[in-house]
Amino acid sequence: MAAEEAESTEQAERTGLGMPDDLSDDEREAVETLLYRLADDELVIAERYTEWQVRAPTLESDLALANIAQDEFGHARLWYDLLEDFGATEADLIFERDPADFRHATLAELPFEDGDWADAIVRSYLYDEAEALRLEALDGTAYPRIADRVGKVLGEEDYHREHAQNWLERLAADEQGLARLQDAVDRLLPAALALWEPVDEDVEARIDDLGIRTDSLDSMREQWFDRVLPFLRALGLDTPEGVREDPESFLPDHRGRDGDHTDDWPDLHDEMTRTYRELGRTEAHEIMPDPDEAE
Amino acid sequence: MIWEVFRQEDAGEYHTHCGNVHAPDREMAKLFAQIQHGRRKPTNSLWVAPKEEIGEVDTEDAKFGGTTDKSYRWVMGYKDLDAAFAEEVADSESEQEEADEAKRARGGDD
Repeated sequence: MAAEEAESTEQAERTGLGMPDDLSDDEREAVETLLYRLADDELVIAERYTEWQVRAPTLESDLALANIAQDEFGHARLWYDLLEDFGATEADLIFERDPADFRHATLAELPFEDGDWADAIVRSYLYDEAEALRLEALDGTAYPRIADRVGKVLGEEDYHREHAQNWLERLAADEQGLARLQDAVDRLLPAALALWEPVDEDVEARIDDLGIRTDSLDSMREQWFDRVLPFLRALGLDTPEGVREDPESFLPDHRGRDGDHTDDWPDLHDEMTRTYRELGRTEAHEIMPDPDEAE
Repeated sequence: MIWEVFRQEDAGEYHTHCGNVHAPDREMAKLFAQIQHGRRKPTNSLWVAPKEEIGEVDTEDAKFGGTTDKSYRWVMGYKDLDAAFAEEVADSESEQEEADEAKRARGGDD
């Protein structure tokens, strides 16, 4: 542990921001805001993915999506654990938190259209392309606690994108599949734009200024368009006209990031925390070692 | 379409049949095999092959010719000899024994 601390301190000197206890109030707010963005997205989208268990088109596709959900839960855990550095417990962060305090983007919380596998695939494609970009923007973060963990998360993302792209190509090869994909793109692309929305303009600017993130939300959104729009079009799908030039006007009514969620979110949160409440728990049961203790 | 999956635990070892996956083509078969057969057990590499491309020698044919004692065909048939006179025989014998032990250690028939 002492060696790890020494290593992290060394990294802090190299990268800029200190360890959790060394942060000023402004720095801490910036770090926390970024972590909530990341952790809440991962948790909520993973929770949605699990709805496909035992319902996916084949056993293999079921397991593949369940595996992706498990990865995202694992990533959420890494980021929530960094919020615990500031004194919060898992119960505070997930099970007893007011649903209105969650900061995930709308894309993560929307229910799937009933039985529509194209929805799951388009959603994971839009999400994982965004995920890759924002992790790349954390690779050189000034906050040592995040820097320690980015590589681990990035390592699991390639499979997710490959999985989504492979499915997109196969669904697009068939007329009915293409029509379903188009519906999903029309519905989900606006919701995905919320991924790039600020929690709070000032705090987001501070996140960039402090170097906690090395790429701004606007810049990442541009790069996301560069990847996503041509790929979808090459599959024969239409993307909203003018979305790149004026993304604001395509945003969904509820963006999530600012705490304004769709009605589907409190329902999902209620379901996600039901067992915890029914068992009368006051703290989350831990079945895995703390990420800092794990190798 | 069914794809048979073969897993190799460590570099240099044999790929051992470990099950199959349903997939429309090779790319998807590889993706699914990773999750279904590569994720919970130590895996160095995986092979996938279309089931219909696999040829089988069935039990009957595998009995391999007659009922007479064929043990003279096994290298271990030389076990009772002092192989010291021929280095290559000694080498071959110990290789075979090692392979046999490794196989037993892995849990019998592949």
